[in-house]
Amino acid sequence: MPTLVGIFDQPGPVAETVRRLRGRGFRELQLYSPAPFPELDDALDERPSRVRWWTLIGGLTGVTAGYAMTIWMSYDWPLVVGGKPYASIPPYTIIAFELTILLGGLATLLGLLAVGKLPRVKADPAYSPRFSAEEFGLVVRCGERDVAEVDALLRAHAAKEVNLVEG
Amino acid sequence: MTPPPPPPASVAAMIRPMPAPADSRANRDILAVMGRPTIGYVALLALVVSTVGWALGTFVYQTYVGLGVAGYSHPIFWGVYIVTFVFWVGIAHAGTLISAILYLFRAKWRNAINRSAEAMTVFAVATAGLFPLIHLGRVFKFYWLLPYPNQRALWVNFKSPLLWDVFAISTYATISIVFFYVGLVPDLAIARDRATGWRKVLYSILALGWQGTTKQWKAHNRTVLHLSGLATPLVLSVHSVVSWDFASSIVPGWHATIFAPYFVAGAIFSGFAMVLTVMIPVRRIYGLERYITDYHFENMSRFILLTSLIVGYAYATEYFVAWYSGVEPERTAFWLRAFGSYWISTWIMISCNAFFPQVFWFKRARTHIPTVFVVSVLVNIGMWFERYVIIVGSLSREYNPAVWGQYTPSWVELSILAGSFAWFSMFFLIFLKLFPVIAINEVKELEIHERAHANGGAH
Repeated sequence: MPTLVGIFDQPGPVAETVRRLRGRGFRELQLYSPAPFPELDDALDERPSRVRWWTLIGGLTGVTAGYAMTIWMSYDWPLVVGGKPYASIPPYTIIAFELTILLGGLATLLGLLAVGKLPRVKADPAYSPRFSAEEFGLVVRCGERDVAEVDALLRAHAAKEVNLVEG
Repeated sequence: MTPPPPPPASVAAMIRPMPAPADSRANRDILAVMGRPTIGYVALLALVVSTVGWALGTFVYQTYVGLGVAGYSHPIFWGVYIVTFVFWVGIAHAGTLISAILYLFRAKWRNAINRSAEAMTVFAVATAGLFPLIHLGRVFKFYWLLPYPNQRALWVNFKSPLLWDVFAISTYATISIVFFYVGLVPDLAIARDRATGWRKVLYSILALGWQGTTKQWKAHNRTVLHLSGLATPLVLSVHSVVSWDFASSIVPGWHATIFAPYFVAGAIFSGFAMVLTVMIPVRRIYGLERYITDYHFENMSRFILLTSLIVGYAYATEYFVAWYSGVEPERTAFWLRAFGSYWISTWIMISCNAFFPQVFWFKRARTHIPTVFVVSVLVNIGMWFERYVIIVGSLSREYNPAVWGQYTPSWVELSILAGSFAWFSMFFLIFLKLFPVIAINEVKELEIHERAHANGGAH
């Protein structure tokens, strides 16, 4: 299948082009940008990033582990002070809090890796260092018979050049 | 409607290699900082490395001979090491404040300084984390602080503030490294695409194959948002926990409920001062005026003014509470703080932290870079002495005359103190040459938007 790469200078036209392409039924789209732009965030996929579930699960694991560890250890080796209960929740809240942050943060990092499909060894054939400069790349995989249509559509929306890459 | 498919020959004709990349100015300017080091850089690095070496040798000597070579003597067993620990933990607060809290408030001016501030946070925590270990007589037993299964079936005492410290500091170190690294990944990809030789290998590994696809950016934004949300309460908790090391004891001058907010404000105060002390020379040497403008320094000066007022207010409150409580040892402790044997430290603390920063009420001072630099250095000095006053001053006069004493830092402690500054500087100097000192992708985000407006763009 041929792959077309349209090069743009501004995020606005890219978002518009993506809307048009999706409207015409092109589904195999990929977008490279030099920085995050709010107008591009939802261009390909409106759903919020799944990273949020990782944070939630990590944080809940942390708070549970924090209380469970401190309370269990207090009963496993009791420090008897007066007639008080072995476990004292207020100071243990500090440990539970720190572990919530720790595991929540680490899980968020794992979430970024999982959702962003990182690390990856080989660059996409369509990737170019231009996209880590200042240009935007809109990649469209389409049937051979659609090449001319996509090419015209990209150019009509301020793509300053359109390249064809193999792959 | 659909045009007829083009003949395969024309498709083949369209296949051509992409033209050479046109690089952006932000990439060139900021990556240029990582270029060939100058003689001055190498000399400075050699100086700090040899200072670290000297301090390391001193530490080996102390471990071999025992803590007696530190200035510790009855009744003062918390000295320069604990002072310096609190000092560096405080410095570490600016990075997270700038990155996380200003991110949540959408303060765009943070973009120019957040990378270097995050780096300083990581290095300051790395410095601070050494001091509780240096302070141990038997440093090789430090792992006893961790709750690990052992033959004696003993567990650590989770009711001790010193153990909360272990969890708070290690969490803070981990999260600030994660925060720093996550922000760095897209910029490492920029560096990877332009580097050659060993740097290409290094950045290719560290950039994890980042390509800046929409999905990756979206996940990245979400990650930064969540890490900011997690780091904001964390940064407030860390220095609170450090303050409870003191406040939960009954030593006069320590036993105060104001300690947590007082320490947090002081930490932010000293952290911002350190960022200014480091970034003013860096901006000048590497010509980064286009990215780090006077506006950034002015905003940071305002923060220093604000936190200076909070810290000054806390000093006043401590005195008021000591007087109003009617507790004789408290009153004595605060009388001696100002007029006892550590009066010089106290007046350095008050003048550097509460008095000199008031110059920032004037716009002319906030925008005059030499003034900002001098005040930031004074604040650093003042904040080190603040911890000295609190820790040593209070321990020297507890309730019972049998535990009154004097403390003078020994050459061993001063060597290790100097080594801590060198250790921090060493990491920062290496960072300058290895990683982009400004978050390039965030600068670009603003620049591309501005260009769209200049061209009369649709948004």
